[in-house]
Amino acid sequence: MDLTPRTSPDNAPLAPRKRNRKWKYVAMLIVVASAGGIIVTQFLTSAIDFYCNVDEIGVRDGCEANRRLRVQGVVAKDSLKSASGRTSFVMEFNNHSVDVMYEGDPGGIFQECIPVVAHGRLVGDVFEANRIEVKHSNQYEAENPDRIAESKATPCTQLAG
Amino acid sequence: MTTATVNSKGVGTPTTRIYGALAIVALGWVLLGGLFFTPEDVVQGDAVRIMYVHVPTAWVAYLAFIVTGIASACWLIGKKHSLGFDRVAGASAEVGVVFMAMTLLSGSLWGRITWGTYWVWDPRLTTTAFLFVTYVGYLAVRGLGGSPEQRARRSSVIALLAVLEIPLVHFSVVLWRSLHQQASVLSPDGDIKMDGLMLFTLLFGVFGFSVLFAWLVSHRQRIMAMQDALQTNALDAAVSERLREAQV
Repeated sequence: MDLTPRTSPDNAPLAPRKRNRKWKYVAMLIVVASAGGIIVTQFLTSAIDFYCNVDEIGVRDGCEANRRLRVQGVVAKDSLKSASGRTSFVMEFNNHSVDVMYEGDPGGIFQECIPVVAHGRLVGDVFEANRIEVKHSNQYEAENPDRIAESKATPCTQLAG
Repeated sequence: MTTATVNSKGVGTPTTRIYGALAIVALGWVLLGGLFFTPEDVVQGDAVRIMYVHVPTAWVAYLAFIVTGIASACWLIGKKHSLGFDRVAGASAEVGVVFMAMTLLSGSLWGRITWGTYWVWDPRLTTTAFLFVTYVGYLAVRGLGGSPEQRARRSSVIALLAVLEIPLVHFSVVLWRSLHQQASVLSPDGDIKMDGLMLFTLLFGVFGFSVLFAWLVSHRQRIMAMQDALQTNALDAAVSERLREAQV
């Protein structure tokens, strides 16, 4: 019995849509494989900058002061200054601190007493950042006027999480 | 089975209607509670409201991919190799991909407001994007053609491998230093650091999106069953036609 696919009078296959659909999924797989490759490459490239806490600069392997770093710490209370489009502040972690200079406004919910990650280099005693990302803790609290007044009177305790 | 029959009967059942009604009620509360009744966060302000979509969709996407893994294992292990398991796996993965896309989108918006950037190649974000891409690939493999049995066999193997990514995504914030915050509800120390009404709305969101997931998967796997039946019937009809021709 002949079970070859049927063809129309002009000899064109009767179900070209099904074949097209298959190619659509093959194309989708190629896009997915490419996307996966890009994701892994980008992640590994970004990992070249070591992720160090303030107290690890110049101490921990990979956190040498002469290389580009990602430094994590908390913006010290009463240290934030903005002038001529530059933002400067002191970043603290484990009783160590470093002065940070950033060209521009960090954006996000950047403020004093909040954890941040600064990308850049240590130039002299100042960490010159070209990118700042704001971390927020896993604590979620309702805004309470009494608590805000209380936290303003004490060092960074609430926001740093 | 004809298309007309499918259209006139639909794929709803009393159970799916209950799921639908519960999802509407729960997500209605999440919408109202999330936008109006819950307080602003002391640090993030109104941006915290994105959490009521971001966290539940992430959890339900995990759930969806776990269901896909379990259903795939049932198909592989089961003696009858029931295609019902494969259809549940496929439907669950489709819904999971949609929820994961919502997670990535809402997280990106949340990141722009709080971190100051839409995206960073951070361990949590990267592993989540990779998980999303893996399941888009899984769906592409399902669409490659062949018989329902062939589709079930190859996709179930991929599903069982892909589900192993979920612990890596969840614990990425513990394993590596990350910009993404650690878990608030499922935190390693078990201490939930969240305002009561925020937590209630968040958990209600998890419930609402879970019921929505169940509702969508119930309908989708029935539609898949109908598509498989149509394909099988079409093949049977073609064979019968050839047999008739041969007899003439």
